[in-house]
Amino acid sequence: MEMDMKMRMNTNAGVNVSMSMNMNMDTNVDVNMNISDDLFLPLDESEKDSEFIAIESRSFIADAARRFSRNKLAMAGFIVLSAVVLLAIFGPVFSHYTFDGQDPSSRNSGSSLAHWFGTDKFGRDIFVRLLYGARISLMVGFVSAGINMAVGIAYGGISGYLGGKADMLMMRVVDIIYAIPSLLYVILIMLALGSNIRSILIGICISSWVSMARIVRSEILKLKTLEFSTAAFVIGASKARILFRHLLINALGPIIVTLTFMIPQAIFTEAFLSFVGVGISAPFASWGTLVQDARAFIDIYPMQVVYPVLAICVTIFSLNFIGDGLSDALNPKSRR
Amino acid sequence: MNTATAEVQNAAETFEATGARGEADALFRVEGLSKFFEVQKSGFAPKKYLKAVDRISLSVGKAETLGIVGESGCGKSTLGRAILQIHKPTAGKVFFHGIELTGLSEKQMAPFRRRMQMIFQDPYASLNPRYTVGDIIEEPMVIHKLYPPAERRRRVQELLLLVGLKPDHIRRYPHEFSGGQRQRIGIARTLATEPDFIVCDEPISALDVSIQAQIINLLEKIQRESGVSYLFIAHDLSMVRHISHRIGVMYLGSMVEYGPVELVYGAPLHPYTRLLLSSEPIADPKRARATHVHIPEGELPSPIDAPPGCPFCSRCAYILPECTASRPPDYRQPDGRTVRCYQYSQRRRQQRRAFGVADITATQ
Ligand SMILES: Nc1ncnc2c1ncn2[C@@H]1O[C@H](COP(=O)(O)OP(=O)(O)OP(=O)(O)O)[C@@H](O)[C@H]1O
Ligand SMILES: [Mg+2]
Repeated sequence: MEMDMKMRMNTNAGVNVSMSMNMNMDTNVDVNMNISDDLFLPLDESEKDSEFIAIESRSFIADAARRFSRNKLAMAGFIVLSAVVLLAIFGPVFSHYTFDGQDPSSRNSGSSLAHWFGTDKFGRDIFVRLLYGARISLMVGFVSAGINMAVGIAYGGISGYLGGKADMLMMRVVDIIYAIPSLLYVILIMLALGSNIRSILIGICISSWVSMARIVRSEILKLKTLEFSTAAFVIGASKARILFRHLLINALGPIIVTLTFMIPQAIFTEAFLSFVGVGISAPFASWGTLVQDARAFIDIYPMQVVYPVLAICVTIFSLNFIGDGLSDALNPKSRR
Repeated sequence: MNTATAEVQNAAETFEATGARGEADALFRVEGLSKFFEVQKSGFAPKKYLKAVDRISLSVGKAETLGIVGESGCGKSTLGRAILQIHKPTAGKVFFHGIELTGLSEKQMAPFRRRMQMIFQDPYASLNPRYTVGDIIEEPMVIHKLYPPAERRRRVQELLLLVGLKPDHIRRYPHEFSGGQRQRIGIARTLATEPDFIVCDEPISALDVSIQAQIINLLEKIQRESGVSYLFIAHDLSMVRHISHRIGVMYLGSMVEYGPVELVYGAPLHPYTRLLLSSEPIADPKRARATHVHIPEGELPSPIDAPPGCPFCSRCAYILPECTASRPPDYRQPDGRTVRCYQYSQRRRQQRRAFGVADITATQ
């Protein structure tokens, strides 16, 4: 209310100023319509204040968080993912089962109070193995996304900011990496370095950072032509300062969105590799190996396949919903 | 630090105040500055150049304002940016405090960057939307390591007061402000390093009329108090006349006329200047009709790969045989201004005098 009133008052003040200027023009201006110095009067103090604060104070991040929290699907995804993360971290601590503890007396048992999701063919508790699997899947997802982000931002940012020949060279390298199917890298690296998490991570990261680099580069190409980038140069900012302190924080939206879509992709790749038998090997559990182990008995014990598949689906869906929600929230144009 | 850097830095710190408005020891001196943009880079066709700034010479004295006017796209911004070494000039020299800036590395430029600043046309695009007002104004001090860190915030608040904002605006974001207020923030940022030269690139053309006057008043107040010099770019002729001591008129990359404001506005020499002054909109319709001047039509030539003659010859009413043959040089007139037009060559002026013909100025 108060702001409204202030606005009206000030527009009135503005009109008065311009009207009085017009009147002056009619009377004091010579034939060539040259405005002489004495037409410009210093404003008095009250008029200096005549511009008002246009929007209430709210930082970009707070604004985005508010918009995100209004998106029901995204919030649901966020809650589910948080639950999965918390379970993966703390669940195994509170369980007296371990991922490789075998119990020959109860093999392939169904759901019960003792084994919530039953046991597998060695009598291992499926629920606990799912939680351990979650650890591996989430770790693969987040770590590879972190590496991709660091490499992609640095590479894409430098390429876009330098432009010209350097940009062309750097982007051709990206094209070459992009042209080879990413599974090929992963499988080759798994063969060379053995089946473990480290080689899965290397395999995933070696090719997937390029999409981050491309996104960052195109953002930087756009941003570097804006005047605030020139302004930073004029005040003496170094190239690195302009790129990292001015341009990249303005590309944060697309970067975060890309990131949230990279995580499910990495989780999926890991699950797939483990499923086809080149990923995590026994007795360690990942969601992919759980499906693989249970596949032989799918006719007799279908639930042993269903649980890990559900875990993968729920996690990937949650991440995708979060990604959609973030891309809406971080893009002020989609303001609702 | 190598010796060259030390020398330059030394020179920057021990510069002497250049009081004269003359050419020789001006604060800023530009000689034959050119900036050509390469267009049509792809393919095997020969490279084409856009002469955005073509052999421009000028100088700015201490506490002086040099106004630059011209139509949109004539190279005003490019001139300002080439002077500040934002665009690397294609040719020509730029001297600041008597030291040649062209050819210095960015590192060697650092002490000069502090002393020359720029106010931008678009108050929306020239402030980083993710920075608070305090961060924006403080950044130049951080970069140039001015003031102890604890004092910088206080200095930011002083600057906010100086440009007519409130000290408690320090934690707000640019999008919360109106255009005029953002321009004030931009001005506060340029003042943070206490520059002696500011390029104002159409600082008011994006603002409301009533706010334009406020910003102009502010810039004038700053000049009175700190003795800063301006290169003031605009296409509003009356505003430039009001604020400038001397003026340069640009047409398609050329500085066609350059001299004291009273002379250029009072008795314009170059045919383009006269066209420009006559086409200035007049507020009173009655008087506008009475003083209406016939504006010679003619196509605006493309600045890319322009023909060899004077860029204005397609619209010029006073065309001479030499005009289409080669680009005219700058002719210095007895009254001190320079005009880039063959009509004002020594020879043509003498001819006119010999035949008792008045200068073309008088015909209007
Ligand atoms: N980076 C660039 N690359 C190629 N051409 C450019 C570049 N910058 C400017 N130009 C061209 O140079 C010419 C002069 O541009 P400039 O921006 O200096 O004009 P201006 O007088 O400032 O115009 P305005 O009044 O619209 O701001 C224009 O034809 C423009 O298209
Ligand atoms: Mg411009």
